Amino acid sequence: MKGTKNIVKKELTRVFTDKKLVINLFVLPGVLIMVMYSIMGSLISKMETDIKTHIPTIYIQNAPEDLDYIIDAVDFEGNITYISSKDSTTHIKDGILKGDIDLLVIFDEGFIETIRSYKDVGDPIPEVRTYYNPSEDYSNAAKGNFTASVLHAYQQSLLAERLGNIEQLQVFYIDRDPEAGIIVDESKANGKFLSMLLPFLINIMLFQGAMGLGMDAITGEKERGTLASMLLSPIKRSEIVFGKLISLGILTSLSAVIYTVSVVVGIQRLADGAMGAMTNIQFTPVQIVQLFVMLIVLVYLYVSMVSIVAVYARTQKEAGTYVTPLYILVMLGCIMTMFSTGGVKELKYYAIPIYNGAIALQDLLVGELTMVKFGVTVGSLAIVAFLITTLITKAFNSERVMFNA
Amino acid sequence: MIQINELTKVYKLTKKQMMEKKTKKNMVKAVDKLSLTARPGEIYGLLGPNGAGKTTALRCIASLLKPTQGNIKVKGYDTVEDSQSVRKTIGFLTNEIKLDPQFSPRYMFGFFGRLHGLDERVIEERREELFDYFGIKDFQDKKIEELSSGMKQKASLAVSLVHNPEVIIFDEPTSGLDIITARNVTDYLKHLRDEGRTVIISTHIMTEAEKLCDRIGIIINGVLVLEGTLTEILDRTNTKDLEDAFFELYKIHNKEEE
Repeated sequence: MKGTKNIVKKELTRVFTDKKLVINLFVLPGVLIMVMYSIMGSLISKMETDIKTHIPTIYIQNAPEDLDYIIDAVDFEGNITYISSKDSTTHIKDGILKGDIDLLVIFDEGFIETIRSYKDVGDPIPEVRTYYNPSEDYSNAAKGNFTASVLHAYQQSLLAERLGNIEQLQVFYIDRDPEAGIIVDESKANGKFLSMLLPFLINIMLFQGAMGLGMDAITGEKERGTLASMLLSPIKRSEIVFGKLISLGILTSLSAVIYTVSVVVGIQRLADGAMGAMTNIQFTPVQIVQLFVMLIVLVYLYVSMVSIVAVYARTQKEAGTYVTPLYILVMLGCIMTMFSTGGVKELKYYAIPIYNGAIALQDLLVGELTMVKFGVTVGSLAIVAFLITTLITKAFNSERVMFNA
Repeated sequence: MIQINELTKVYKLTKKQMMEKKTKKNMVKAVDKLSLTARPGEIYGLLGPNGAGKTTALRCIASLLKPTQGNIKVKGYDTVEDSQSVRKTIGFLTNEIKLDPQFSPRYMFGFFGRLHGLDERVIEERREELFDYFGIKDFQDKKIEELSSGMKQKASLAVSLVHNPEVIIFDEPTSGLDIITARNVTDYLKHLRDEGRTVIISTHIMTEAEKLCDRIGIIINGVLVLEGTLTEILDRTNTKDLEDAFFELYKIHNKEEE
């Protein structure tokens, strides 16, 4: 396998001595992914702060006398204009539609009198109507805040006035300390979150890496006539195939690691600490070995899938067209795991290539990958990859494929 | 020694190729029952117009293509049964096979030397000798993509000879070269012949064939129509130079084909 070693060395040298290629393949995508998610995170955070600090413009019609006192008591901030029932609300509703006004609150006429004259079931109950624009963030927030803080507090105060002791209404509590009732394996809970996201990301990144590199390393060389010079050397065609696959595997793994780390770091920033607990995940040595083996086999499969297309394609453009359905297939297999309930799956599912890679990674992250499932997954992926490699070797021996003869 | 025995090579055409060639036949016979022998210590020239089957024949000798019928032996090795030994024995050069443009001639020389199983010391000695002879040293560390076509051809030539092959197969070796470099190449081919190597070249430059080749085979439409020394060919065609002889043969055999 001296030929293989030489080809691997040459392929790696070709990539790593080309500064532009290194920047385009490894640095730029990683940086761009991180920057993109960071910008998104900072924009979202800015937007939230902006909504929080915005002082809403509110119109209140027929406001009861003591409403002012409640607004002060709950520290609700807003540019409030009080209007009477004689005033038209049409221009206010127009203002809400345009986004100039955030909220209109209308109390029924004689609101407080109706409440105070309530004696028994069937007596009239007054209404408070709120008008807002759900497509406007400020309006939406104003409605939510006013209802939750002012109206709720006002309702409680009027109930207390009516009943004398509001605690009479409370017959039992549900979870006064909600945190105390949570029984969870922290590691599994954190893994659960990641297990939804990472199998998809890892698979897609691996395939993308193989796709970008494989086209040039095989179809590109065929097009340029440089592959033929290798075919003239006194080494077995299988040595050339393995040389190509191993070098592509190394480069794909490297780009996948960079992309995945960038995405995870980026999303961490985006989620503003929501994934902070991820670092608490503890892998056992067996799980680490399982993860390593799975990634190696997945890289082998994706590199061979891209390579078989690259070998048969006459031009890089043609290869790009042929590889797209495979890319969609990989995406489909992985998306299915994102939306599954995560229950225990039958063993047969672990024999379905691509899909099995995603579900096995998902199980691994929540600590539920058994050795049998791991074995079936790795075995099935390796068999398919090996079969494709055999086909690639056959194609390398075909003068029709290699020389369009 | 190269022995070609009744070599026939048929290509199957795709529908697209059939449309391009404006033919209804889905098979094309590129080489038809070609038999010839190129001996050690001689330069054999395959002469023919474009599309005559020269490149196909040379690719079959280099074991890149398999004969549809017949067989080829290179230094006794069958090109199908023992292709690896054939590739070890030959140095092959053609315009369609190129060196990776991102590397320097020095890197490519070393890379192919290692693929041929040579150790670093031998590679270095061969590099000194060949790079010096072809004047490659000045640009040996430049990327191939930055070189002129003549420089690229020189680099390809040197790389094809890295393993000091006993059989040399060059497809139009002086094509695209300036007159000085072309002379350099033909001189080296003579040098190889004098060392007892078997050299087979294809060309459509008549003067080059006259001056360089010990024996010439004229191939038209895949068929070897005449073979011999320059004098024998001129005698047989009753012409004064190779160009006239070639046109005479072309008129006869192209008519037959039509």
